[in-house]
Amino acid sequence: MSPRAAVERPAEASLRTVQAPDEPRSPLAGAIVGRSVPRRDALAKLTGRARYVADLDLPGAWHGVIVRATEPHARLLGIDLDPAFDWSQVVVLTANDVPGDNVVQFAVDDQPVLAIDEIRHVGEPVALIAAPDLPTAEAARDRVRLRTEPLPPVLDPLASDVAFARYEIAKGDLEAGFAAADLVIEGTYTVGRQEQLYLETQGMLAVPREDGGVTVHGSLQCPYYVHAAMRRALALDDARLSVIQSETGGGFGGKEEFPSGLAIQAALLAIKSGHPVRMIFGRHEDLVATTKRHPAVLRHRWGVTRDGRLVAQDIDVVMDGGAYATLSGVVLSRGTIHAGGPYACPNVRIRTRAVMTHTPPSGAFRGFGAPQTEFAAEMQANRAAEALGLSPAELRRRWAYGIGDVTATGQVLRESVAARSVLERAVEASGFEEARAATAQARARRAADDRAVGDGGRADHPRGRDEAEREHPAHGIGVAMAWHGAGFTGSGEEHLASVVRVEVTADGRIVLATDSTEIGQGARTVLAQLVAEELGVGFELVEVAETDTSIVPNSGPTVASRTTMVVGGLLVTAARRLRAEVEERTERPFAASYAEDAHANGPTRIVERFAGYPGVEWDDATHLGDAYPAYGWAAAVAEVDVDLDTGEVAVRRIVSVDDVGRTVNPLLATGQIEGGTLQGVGYATIEEARVEGGRLLNDRLATYIVPTALDAPRIDAILVEEPFAGAPHRAKGLGEIPMDVPAAAVVAAIHDATGAWIHDLPASPERILGALQSKEHEVSERTAADPEATEEAVR
Amino acid sequence: MTLSIGTRVRFAVNGIPVGAEGPGSRRLLDVLRDDLGLTGTKEGCGEGECGACSVLLDGRVVNSCLVPIDQVEGCDVRTVEALSEDARLGLLRDAFLRSGAVQCGFCTPGMLASAAAFLGSGRKPSDENVREAIAGNICRCTGYTKIVEAIRVAAEDGEALDVSVAAAPAPDVAGSRAVVQAMPGLAPQRAPIPPAVDPARPNVVRPRTLDEALEALARDAHRPLAGGTDLMVALEAGVADSSVPLLDLWSLDELRGIAVVAAEDASGTPYLEIGALTTYADLRSSPIVQEHLPAFGAMAATVGAAQIQNRGTIGGNVVNASPAGDTLPLLLATDAVIVAASVRGTRPIRASGFWTGYRRTALAKDELVTRIRVPLPAGRPTRYRKVGTRRAQSIAKASVALSWRAGEDGAWRDVRVALGAVAERVIRAPRTEGLLEGARPSATLAGEAARLVVTEITPIDDVRSTAEYRRHVVGRVLRRMILDEIAGGPPAGEGLRR
Repeated sequence: MSPRAAVERPAEASLRTVQAPDEPRSPLAGAIVGRSVPRRDALAKLTGRARYVADLDLPGAWHGVIVRATEPHARLLGIDLDPAFDWSQVVVLTANDVPGDNVVQFAVDDQPVLAIDEIRHVGEPVALIAAPDLPTAEAARDRVRLRTEPLPPVLDPLASDVAFARYEIAKGDLEAGFAAADLVIEGTYTVGRQEQLYLETQGMLAVPREDGGVTVHGSLQCPYYVHAAMRRALALDDARLSVIQSETGGGFGGKEEFPSGLAIQAALLAIKSGHPVRMIFGRHEDLVATTKRHPAVLRHRWGVTRDGRLVAQDIDVVMDGGAYATLSGVVLSRGTIHAGGPYACPNVRIRTRAVMTHTPPSGAFRGFGAPQTEFAAEMQANRAAEALGLSPAELRRRWAYGIGDVTATGQVLRESVAARSVLERAVEASGFEEARAATAQARARRAADDRAVGDGGRADHPRGRDEAEREHPAHGIGVAMAWHGAGFTGSGEEHLASVVRVEVTADGRIVLATDSTEIGQGARTVLAQLVAEELGVGFELVEVAETDTSIVPNSGPTVASRTTMVVGGLLVTAARRLRAEVEERTERPFAASYAEDAHANGPTRIVERFAGYPGVEWDDATHLGDAYPAYGWAAAVAEVDVDLDTGEVAVRRIVSVDDVGRTVNPLLATGQIEGGTLQGVGYATIEEARVEGGRLLNDRLATYIVPTALDAPRIDAILVEEPFAGAPHRAKGLGEIPMDVPAAAVVAAIHDATGAWIHDLPASPERILGALQSKEHEVSERTAADPEATEEAVR
Repeated sequence: MTLSIGTRVRFAVNGIPVGAEGPGSRRLLDVLRDDLGLTGTKEGCGEGECGACSVLLDGRVVNSCLVPIDQVEGCDVRTVEALSEDARLGLLRDAFLRSGAVQCGFCTPGMLASAAAFLGSGRKPSDENVREAIAGNICRCTGYTKIVEAIRVAAEDGEALDVSVAAAPAPDVAGSRAVVQAMPGLAPQRAPIPPAVDPARPNVVRPRTLDEALEALARDAHRPLAGGTDLMVALEAGVADSSVPLLDLWSLDELRGIAVVAAEDASGTPYLEIGALTTYADLRSSPIVQEHLPAFGAMAATVGAAQIQNRGTIGGNVVNASPAGDTLPLLLATDAVIVAASVRGTRPIRASGFWTGYRRTALAKDELVTRIRVPLPAGRPTRYRKVGTRRAQSIAKASVALSWRAGEDGAWRDVRVALGAVAERVIRAPRTEGLLEGARPSATLAGEAARLVVTEITPIDDVRSTAEYRRHVVGRVLRRMILDEIAGGPPAGEGLRR
């Protein structure tokens, strides 16, 4: 009856009893790859045994808290400690106590671990406090006063003259393109800040070591980012630093760069106090202090011909990077490359910049710049279809990239282009054209009713209430597409030069070692599947090494949809080499001989380092060339109901079709699509972190709202496999693309229901009602000016 | 006299008798995690929004971050660690595993608690019902698809196996002298937090009778505590004065119950009497409410989600006096009477005079709300619509309640229009009521009412919405309510909710 009995039920027995759900087997499936083996970590998570950082405890651990700035921009003159407080019971640290460089290391060295003379955003860390218990640490924090002199903040990104990064890519002759165009579709779009809202808040536990070093356990995506940042700020060598990932309750990019600073802060307190120090954010602090998706203003001018060709794209993007550069440069780069959408166009100019404002820094979030820029591109495509009188699906059939097309960066798409196949599957699975015809009829009837009765009313209309009620709320359907380059942009993967290890240990165990983190997406399961398949052994025989930088090599960060494709590919190659080496020695199949071989000949260890995808050329200086070794492709169809009285939207159904190259685990893959889809629906409808005067307004979970199960649509996730020959296992990235595609489909469906285009995300009830009222106003003006229209409608 | 909390609270966790020390306002979540080492239960927000800390408390799903430990005295708490003992959780575990319903795992323990409560409810495992059951549990990884599927699979498996899942009989907690350290499998992680170092946690006074409560209130300042769904959030956010002790009313069963009472006065109008500690879940499930005041049941369904509905009370909502309080517009529109008690006696306060300003009421310092009386005149329909931020766990951007008596000539009499979240307190709209009074509803009248009602409100821009939206939406919703009546009654659903 004890709780412990529950956890001692053997995991393996349970795993073996689980049947993979019925699913059509892909022709690319193998014995293990392509099958929905149950995930490695599920049982521990289902029994409460999984240990997240807040669940770890060490005797005598202290609690660390952060003194944060309360102004968006100020000169920091001094830090005053209230003399009435007993400071002997706590440890206080400021920028002066950082032994190494006072920098949280990313691409640009602009962000300090602790502010030293200038405060650049509300919530910026200024001092650190640790105490034996949390109430004392918090009481001490309340007794710290920052002496400051306010400086004028820059809060409007369009008014900022400091750019973290700028790009301009061009192709063809833009002027000639517009000269050939019959129609110009123009639009300015805005997208809001979005919070990752991983359910587990940021947290770090730092443990001081006898050798003067420190080990941190934390909720994080990128152990070696944390490691490098700590080495620099703490001035410690590798031997005295370890980063261990504890079970991580979601990341979505929010635990890509942010944990580096927190790890340094916890480590500083641990070293200074001589105690382990826990720093676990409450949700309020997490919302206030951590990065968000970059808000952006996107201006588009597209030239199209009357016969439906896309001949020119002129695109201008401004992203708000917030107070420090963090990853803005790379976010902007990805956003830039994807800004035209998955559409072939001969004449393109894309000019972008990410600017500094005195707001909390923007950072990585699933999609990484692409959801912002692709939203605007899809709005343009849908509006172009409307202007041309074409179905938005038909327009995309004509425009979508195919083999041999050339992207805006000059990349020739040589293989694995699934744009049209994902589109066709989505259109077919959703019954798009039939539904669209029905919503068009309903819209026309409503318009006639409105003309008939005026006052925006439909109740007294001539066709009776029952029929009208069926159209209230108004139903709409919309489509969008996306593409997403897998892996780091351009030469990024070459610079990373990721390393993995696969080995048979001396005691005959098979172990794969990477620093790729399990953050809920299923990395540990998928990577073990790939290795097991390659070695020809059972899935349960492949162990995954603990994510500890003292054990695992640097396989690069767990970001950019790169884990399955890049790290998985390296592991497959390593496993092949391991198998060949053992089989050469034993002259028997690996599965039958590796254990024996290990006992006879000792361990066999294969280390594989990334050496580039064949034929991929990129120029960092011009930002031109093969931006990614391969792209994923997606299409989504959204159906919504809109309450015409309140502007409330219910997203009823999303069909999301995503090309992954080759599916490793269908259940995990569809799980990624479903989760990304709902984040996209939230982005489209209700989610926005609102910053005013440099301050986050919705700083609690009651006010930063995300979709509940009742807000979530039915999601039909469909996998398409267009293999990528450049990877040994032919798989491409999947994690992000499901997030890129839903928002524009939802907004198109809102338009289909109401006739109103919402250019700004989120398409909130406030914005929708505003648009509906403008339309109603127009209708009543027209009706007043043209009484015959009314008569005709009545007849 | 009153039980002074600070002494041990005794209860059972997963069938094992346990005890806890510290201020009675300590969170059940902290006792589970810190004292008992049961870290399977997670903290995602600390304010009852995310559901990660959900556990079963006497079979009902609650947010353990909002449950003060003194209210757990004698109760049976089930956490995710109970997996091996609980057949329902076992079924759910297998279904979650097979369906791929686990990703990062942080929502999983709370999700299992809600799912187990749902399986125990006997409700049909339709997609809609399952979604409603877990609407108080935020998951950011899965899009909910596979979780909903897993719960439906578990429900079907459970039917097949006939797991009626009578939870293990409640252990004899009161008689137990077990201490934390003696429990097998429970390892305390950190020392229990002594009262002295937890200044954010006020002490709790726990009266055994209403009279004791009133006496305590007459003696000293106390903050009344009911289900804690507002007060525990305010304490956590540091916006409630923690030096004022809490007066915990939760165990006063005399303040519970729903009944139809015959008129005591000359009017002859019976009324519905609702005890102040009646929860939203009680309102929803009450056949009496369904029969006499269905709008109250529908309103209760829009409050929070299962965890909040199981703990939030009508009395708490009334006294909290938020302009966005969900019960308030209905109480105004039905001309309810709020019964206040003190050592000086009992007095009725009409709803129209109860809320006097922003979070202010007509209650004297020594008074408690004990009952709410809602008159039930014959032939008086009441309609209610909340425009919230989302379809569960939602606070009103605006709400509208409309009530009238239909005359034989088709004209409306005694019209009452009550509005929430569009002024510093809930308000009636007297000019709009005057317009509608004695009139026969028509599309033209609906349009006029929509335009007039806008002039009676003073909405603001805030984090949830804009003044402009609130102005427009109140008019449009009122108009729609009137149009629906012309057309023969409201449609089946309220807006987009279902």
